[in-house]
Amino acid sequence: MANTETKQLDSIISSRRALLTLGGAALAGLAFAPRAEAQSAVSDTDILNFALNLEYLEAQFYNLAVSGVTIDKLPTPIPVSVNGAAAGTVTLKPSFMKVPFALPPIQAYAMETAIEEGKHVSFLQGALGTAAVSMPDIDLYNSFNALAMVAGLGSSFDPFASDATFLIGAYIFEDVGVSAYHGAAGLIKDKKTILPAAVGIHAVEAYHAGLVRTSINALDAGTGTLNTITQKISAARSMLANPSSASTTTYTGSKADDIGLTTTMVSLNGTSASYSSSTIVDCDSNSIGWGRTTSQVLAIVTGTDPSATSHKGVFFPSGLNGNIK
Amino acid sequence: MAGAGTTAAAAFLAGCSKSSTPPSSGGGTTTPPPQDVPDNDILNFALNLEYLEAEFYLRAATGSGLSSTDALSGAGTVTGGAAVQGFSTAMQQYAVEIAQDELNHVRAIQETISKNSGTPVARPNIDFTNAFNALAAAAGIGSSFDPFSSPSAFLVGAFVFEDVGVTAYTGAAPAITNTDILSAAAGIQAVEAYHAAEIRTLLVGMAATNKDQTYVNYANQVSALRGKLGGGNETMLSVSSIVAADTTNAIAFARTTDQVLHIVYATAPGAGVKSGGFFPNGLNGSISTTAS
Repeated sequence: MANTETKQLDSIISSRRALLTLGGAALAGLAFAPRAEAQSAVSDTDILNFALNLEYLEAQFYNLAVSGVTIDKLPTPIPVSVNGAAAGTVTLKPSFMKVPFALPPIQAYAMETAIEEGKHVSFLQGALGTAAVSMPDIDLYNSFNALAMVAGLGSSFDPFASDATFLIGAYIFEDVGVSAYHGAAGLIKDKKTILPAAVGIHAVEAYHAGLVRTSINALDAGTGTLNTITQKISAARSMLANPSSASTTTYTGSKADDIGLTTTMVSLNGTSASYSSSTIVDCDSNSIGWGRTTSQVLAIVTGTDPSATSHKGVFFPSGLNGNIK
Repeated sequence: MAGAGTTAAAAFLAGCSKSSTPPSSGGGTTTPPPQDVPDNDILNFALNLEYLEAEFYLRAATGSGLSSTDALSGAGTVTGGAAVQGFSTAMQQYAVEIAQDELNHVRAIQETISKNSGTPVARPNIDFTNAFNALAAAAGIGSSFDPFSSPSAFLVGAFVFEDVGVTAYTGAAPAITNTDILSAAAGIQAVEAYHAAEIRTLLVGMAATNKDQTYVNYANQVSALRGKLGGGNETMLSVSSIVAADTTNAIAFARTTDQVLHIVYATAPGAGVKSGGFFPNGLNGSISTTAS
């Protein structure tokens, strides 16, 4: 099983590279092609609650990483139970401890991100008012182990173990958050208040993603150790969001929608690909960020098929709260 | 991404709003409501900004700018810009990546405007030399500033553009009526935010490595100036403050087209400004003169 999956991931990565080497011009005809997936009508409340579930996940991850406590136990607590509905629980490894940061800048980044994701939770709760959902069950222990298996990283992965593993944990979330807000933007009906807010949060998630990816690339320092892990995670996300409709062994990666940290050759204003480029930005060959449908995002965070009728597992063992689940 | 057909895209885009009415006034609040402007006008406004960024990064990375094909017929001239000497391998790769991204944005936006039955504007006249000098003077950095003179200076030059790009797209995207174009604009907005975070992270990282805050201080002087010209909407840069967003809700700032114009024209708020700074002859397209 792991072997098959690893092969699929390899093929996704190599086809992605092949796509990149074609350059923007060759693919210009595909610019701004709309997504093929149709989505049934959802309300703005549904979308905001969907986002709130994801923000609960991110806020818990970062605050646990820097403070060692869940957001409802912070000095200035952020409620996880709202509108009378009971909150779920957060599953952590036995004897959980916050990240033993050794690099002050990474710790500072973690703290900033923890504060900002907490504000997103508070903002969405406020915007939703009486319609806001409580935090669902969140798993930050078995989830990372399961994802590590899917990505071919081994049987376990602890994002709270070190600066480096923390950054990898953050990497797992941030690009997904970006693609989720991107995909949801077109569904939002209130263009005057809700859409601008969603677009603004989208940008902040992309700032976080850029921060995390730049930091990992710096820490990797050309060794490939960390960057290889990001490639496997990106390939896993891509595979979860875009499983083949036929046999998984024939999956070619033609719908790959994610790229890890690597280097690739680009042509810039010349005609041959002779410049070495980083891949800090997670975007397509037209340099446009990827948008994912809510089903694709659910597939990634729960490890299910996008077409499943309900999504439970991995980070959300009991599923999400709200109507998009 | 490549799965969906261009035929479907063309059919869909054929029904989009077209450039026909003049832009409304830009307003002057820090959290503006979306403006009622045709999609192609917004896209052409964005195209001007992408020309500016593409020229900056291409010149920094390679020494030469957009091809005449990419700049379109009737393109204006570009003053200044040269390959930055002394890049580390990693820094060179960062500059190349962003250059390719901005070049791709130029091409993608041109393509989208054409598909949306509009006409993409050509590159306007762009002036790096005098604009950066004027900006340095106004920001209190000194009488001249050459962002192409060193890797650190390059990062400050990049800093001038990236957060502005994010606020411009954050402000403009909600006004886009066509859902596919909105999605594409959101996708470009995200890329600009990745860039902005990358530049901000590299600036503080380089300062820590060199034990020298000079260039972070320059960036913050630039930020203060942008705030003065562009309606606030700035976050000081430090190791504990990478993201530019409002402090209450951690939502990225949105700028009106007027606020963006005042920054790139390097002029104080007020109506009737139509050129200056990086665009000595103004932007091309219908959004080029400030209404406030």
